[in-house]
Amino acid sequence: MAHELGAIKEAVIKGKHGEIEQLVKALIENKVDLQEIINEGMIAAMDEVGRMFSEGEVFVPEMLVSSFTMKKGLDLIKPLIKDEEAESRGTVVMCTVKGDIHDIGKNLVCMMLEGAGFQVIDLGVDTTVEQLMAKVEETRPHMLGLSALLTTTMLEMKTVIDTLESRGLRDRVKVMIGGAPVDAAFAKEIKADGYGKDAVEAVRLARGFTPEKG
Amino acid sequence: MVKSTPRNLIMSAVFNGRKGERPAVGNPTSIVCHGLMDAAGVSFPEAHLDAQAMADLALAGHEILGFDTVMPEYSVHQESAALGCEVHWGDRNTMPDAKSSPYADFTDIRIPESVLEKPSMRVVLDALSILRRHVGDRVALFGKVMGPWTLSYHMAGTQNFLLQIGLGEKDKVLRMMRQLMPVTVAFAKAQFQAGADVVVLADHVTGDLAGPYHYEELLLPLHREITQEIGGPLILHVCGNCNDRLELFAQAGFDAYHFEWQMDAKTVVRKVGRLLSLAGCVNNPQVLYQGTPDDVHAQARYAIEAGVNIICPECAIPLATPMENLKAIVAAAHEGY
Repeated sequence: MAHELGAIKEAVIKGKHGEIEQLVKALIENKVDLQEIINEGMIAAMDEVGRMFSEGEVFVPEMLVSSFTMKKGLDLIKPLIKDEEAESRGTVVMCTVKGDIHDIGKNLVCMMLEGAGFQVIDLGVDTTVEQLMAKVEETRPHMLGLSALLTTTMLEMKTVIDTLESRGLRDRVKVMIGGAPVDAAFAKEIKADGYGKDAVEAVRLARGFTPEKG
Repeated sequence: MVKSTPRNLIMSAVFNGRKGERPAVGNPTSIVCHGLMDAAGVSFPEAHLDAQAMADLALAGHEILGFDTVMPEYSVHQESAALGCEVHWGDRNTMPDAKSSPYADFTDIRIPESVLEKPSMRVVLDALSILRRHVGDRVALFGKVMGPWTLSYHMAGTQNFLLQIGLGEKDKVLRMMRQLMPVTVAFAKAQFQAGADVVVLADHVTGDLAGPYHYEELLLPLHREITQEIGGPLILHVCGNCNDRLELFAQAGFDAYHFEWQMDAKTVVRKVGRLLSLAGCVNNPQVLYQGTPDDVHAQARYAIEAGVNIICPECAIPLATPMENLKAIVAAAHEGY
């Protein structure tokens, strides 16, 4: 069993997108616990990919392929998991803020969060404060992830946080920010709960905001 | 000592030649801010689309801020608009953005026969000619083109292009870049013909997105061909942290490299200062945009003391940057070495 799960982990790490479906199907046919495939195959793999990215061993192209591979595997597993069995680590609403259409960093964060077991609601790019507030009211997420690549749009993050405050929603949701022009000092200044310099740090932050049960 | 006119200082700095009375101050990328638009009486988006407006705004960089260069291209989308991207030219508060990726399927790129005559290309060439006539021998005139890597981001979509690289689709990726390379070369040559002294070649193989091994395998050979084909002086601009590929940039045949504050100026000079001239590097978001003139002065002096040849902002500046902060770069350079 450990060998088969190890093969899945390796397929995700090395981006063997042509092999992953066959490997996952074999485990499903052998009645292996689906959550185990996700946790010990997919999530463990994406943790390793994140480490390699942080240490400059791989870059965005490899991360994209690992995420692509993981998604192919997850797509086979997810329909088989009954809602009550799904183990979500928490819900994160993600977006690139209003006026900004850059989304690679945000997409990588979404993929890594999914890989780490979070439920991600991706609102895409150029997201208005009103769209965000509506989604926060509707889905009651644990976290809100805001991304910006431009110095002209980073201040929109403050608008989002101020609006959460004024509508009484701020205490319900942790806000994490990221993107090239922002840093930890800016996060503190606008009263965000955390700053992640890359997708790996975003996952670390998210895990910190939602400690594992038990 | 070189005669210390703005143009001489820049040209000597590009070739790491004799020093003048003070370091050169240049702008390989845009220094347009709201204050400069107001002072020039020209705003975005007209300065992307009208040659005289483009030239007037560029000239303000020298006449009002005191930079030794004028550079009339503010967006990264002049070529992509000519090649079929739907470009929204933005407004006073936003830079242009491409809204479509016309070759996301990696089909063969159709380069229009008269690509240099497309409005978004012609406007830059006309602005350069206007500026050459206006500034004559006084001020250095910078042009700017996008390299094949950046053009591929625009044609295929950045994430899609990087995914194909990750998937090992080397032939597909190289074919696209080879088809786009002639646009880079033709536009650069046309900019020299129009009067540019130096052309900046922006190709965003940044450490935030790709690895040094991607650069070495896929783009370095193309950069070598491009720098061979273009006769005039070239400055490479790549944003982000590129510490791990500086030596590779130095092998590509560029005369200078424009780098970001994420890289320590002293380290960059030590690593490649004998092989390339260097342009850099006052931090944009924290210092030029949110800092004080004293903060800017300190960073500019640090770059001068490190031995950086041309002192400048690290990349296109935020539009709300205060003019005093841009003038503080010039003031720091005017203190001399």
